[in-house]
Amino acid sequence: MNGQLRKLPLTGLLLLLVLAFLLDISAGAVRIPLHDIFRILLAPSPGDDSSWSFIIEKIRLPKAITAVLAGCGLSVGGLQMQTLFRNPLADPGVLGITAGASLGVAAVLLSGGSMATIYAIKELSSPGSWLIAGAACIGAGGVMLLVLVLSGRLRDNVLMLIIGLMIGSITLALISIWQYFSNPEEVKDFLLWTFGSLGGVTGRQLLILGVTVLTGLVAAFLSSKMLDALLLGENYARSMGLTVRRARTIIVCTTSLLAGSITAFCGPIGFIGIAVPHLARLFFNTSSHRVLVPACCLIGTILLLLCDCISQWPGTQSVLPINIITSLVGAPLVILLLVRKRDLNVNAYR
Amino acid sequence: MVRNNRGHGLLSFFASLLLLAGGCRQRAAEYAPGRKINPRISVRYAKGFTIDYYEGYRDVSIFDRKAGRTDTLHYLLVEKGVDPPVNRPGLPVIVTPVERMAVISSMHIAMAEFAGVADRITGLGSIQYVNSPIVRAGIRAGKVKQVGIDAGINNEAVIAMHPGVLIVMSNPGTGGGTYKTLTDAGIPVLPDADWLETTPLGRAEWVKLVAALVDRDETVETKFDSLARSYRRLADIGSHASPKPSVITDMPFKGTWYVPAGESFMAQFLRDAGADYHWSDTKGTGSLALGFEAVAPVALTADVWINLGNVDSKADVAAKDNRFSSLHAFQTGALYNYNRRVNDLGSNDYWESGSMHPDLILADLIRILHPGLLPGDSLYYYKQLK
Repeated sequence: MNGQLRKLPLTGLLLLLVLAFLLDISAGAVRIPLHDIFRILLAPSPGDDSSWSFIIEKIRLPKAITAVLAGCGLSVGGLQMQTLFRNPLADPGVLGITAGASLGVAAVLLSGGSMATIYAIKELSSPGSWLIAGAACIGAGGVMLLVLVLSGRLRDNVLMLIIGLMIGSITLALISIWQYFSNPEEVKDFLLWTFGSLGGVTGRQLLILGVTVLTGLVAAFLSSKMLDALLLGENYARSMGLTVRRARTIIVCTTSLLAGSITAFCGPIGFIGIAVPHLARLFFNTSSHRVLVPACCLIGTILLLLCDCISQWPGTQSVLPINIITSLVGAPLVILLLVRKRDLNVNAYR
Repeated sequence: MVRNNRGHGLLSFFASLLLLAGGCRQRAAEYAPGRKINPRISVRYAKGFTIDYYEGYRDVSIFDRKAGRTDTLHYLLVEKGVDPPVNRPGLPVIVTPVERMAVISSMHIAMAEFAGVADRITGLGSIQYVNSPIVRAGIRAGKVKQVGIDAGINNEAVIAMHPGVLIVMSNPGTGGGTYKTLTDAGIPVLPDADWLETTPLGRAEWVKLVAALVDRDETVETKFDSLARSYRRLADIGSHASPKPSVITDMPFKGTWYVPAGESFMAQFLRDAGADYHWSDTKGTGSLALGFEAVAPVALTADVWINLGNVDSKADVAAKDNRFSSLHAFQTGALYNYNRRVNDLGSNDYWESGSMHPDLILADLIRILHPGLLPGDSLYYYKQLK
């Protein structure tokens, strides 16, 4: 690929990104004129109609920023997993990290007093947003450690993939037990969490999410060369002087950081992680991760921002959970693009 | 098919014998259909059920209100020692007065308590969250056992217990598929749809169904009438009070803010308490799932915030989401939660006895919204979050 051709979609996507961000800021249940939005964004003055500035500054802006972070993180995490396992169906949750985060959240939301220790946690502090995020981090981290320990004993990435799926399966079974013995209200809270949400991350939480996701993204970009080598097969990678096991550890850690932190704050957001890498390969027609990592960031962000706009369609008072929209709107879009392209760039994985 | 009563199988066995003998005498004359008699009580507020009285039995109709009162479930409450009427074949039969009952929700405990028969509860959906001292004593003594809820119901435990009736929380329209094993085993399963009622008194009036089960119709009606009088008197004071402070309820979770719909009993509470409730004119008997942003303009300026959920202090509220501290009601400290009566098990009596004491809840709400309007200022179910 030469750079000239690549610039075309890049400029287009950058433009689209800005448009999507503005659209997301201006879409919502409350109609706020565009010039007022700009006024509030550029010069927030205390004399404003306080409900408008509250909506823009405290609801829409954090939500849009969260969408950007989650869109980047999940797409890049998915790309890394697809490359590591050379499997087009892999996503950031494939190693059970998302399920681990869910287990952590289930422990907090679903205890129903059945476990004395959990009850004590509830007594200490009602399950505030920090507690949920913290529990999700512990759950995701625990599964990641388990995966890493097991990965040290394995040579083959495919075995790794299967073990990841098995761990995810065990974790989900544990959650089901909890759900089974919980009150309907608790199950409903947990269910809402699994629907995913971009709206609950503000203030310091947004800062933490931003720092972790950016760290993960930088790490992913720096390991581009490693990922390129892995694409050609583990033996080839070894012949290039790559320590496969070390590369695997780095990639697993990066993806865990991305998927774990995003799931902790936003809940499990599906689809983006699996679809965006395909779109990135399609648009940029390359398998070089130096291009694909930023491309995934761009496309993932645009897609998630647009999905968020749709989830709060103007004129409706309700907001649909983001997970519903990503699948309902995103999947047909990907099907359409792939059908037009007719064949998947199979070489990208093997 | 639902088996009517335990004698039925034997009866049909003999009936077939008689038939085989060539006679037509199986139409036993002594099973004359009961004569309709004057109603012993009337149902005034609840829309989901009626009771018709016949000699020797009651006919309870439970309506699927979504189907417009056309789809009706019938239960025959037949007095002990009286044979079920032959002209109503195939209907589930409950022998009254019920001596032992299994119930699912805390609302049912409250109804039994109100009717003075809490000691007849032998099975509970979950024995974790109970307030009634009688039932708690029963649990300690091992007399009250856990039977599970909905699909998780422990059929074997219920069958072994063999209660006179199992009262479940159910929508009458969804049918009894979940409970087929139990009805096949001869345990009548009675759906309680009090939660579909649109007024607090309508919900509480379902207690008359429990009263009919234990043959205390008149006593409970008298008690309920006095409750209704007390509620209406308070509602008269509350709904005429002015100015009406604006109110928001509940707390959003993950961007979704569930608020009571206009036809729900909570909205009725707010109207009766003299609140200015933004969604009072909306359709629906449940709750509206709104986005944070859709509620924000109302929430920012609301005078009072009630029913906040699982929080015990202002710090808890801010820990849920720091944006809540921007709300007017948060800044003025007008946060009132329904958790004054949470016991050592973490069980909230608001959900239990509160459902049978709408007058106390209404009095709390009026005292919160219109201080000084009622004599005294102590709250019963609610407390201010500090």
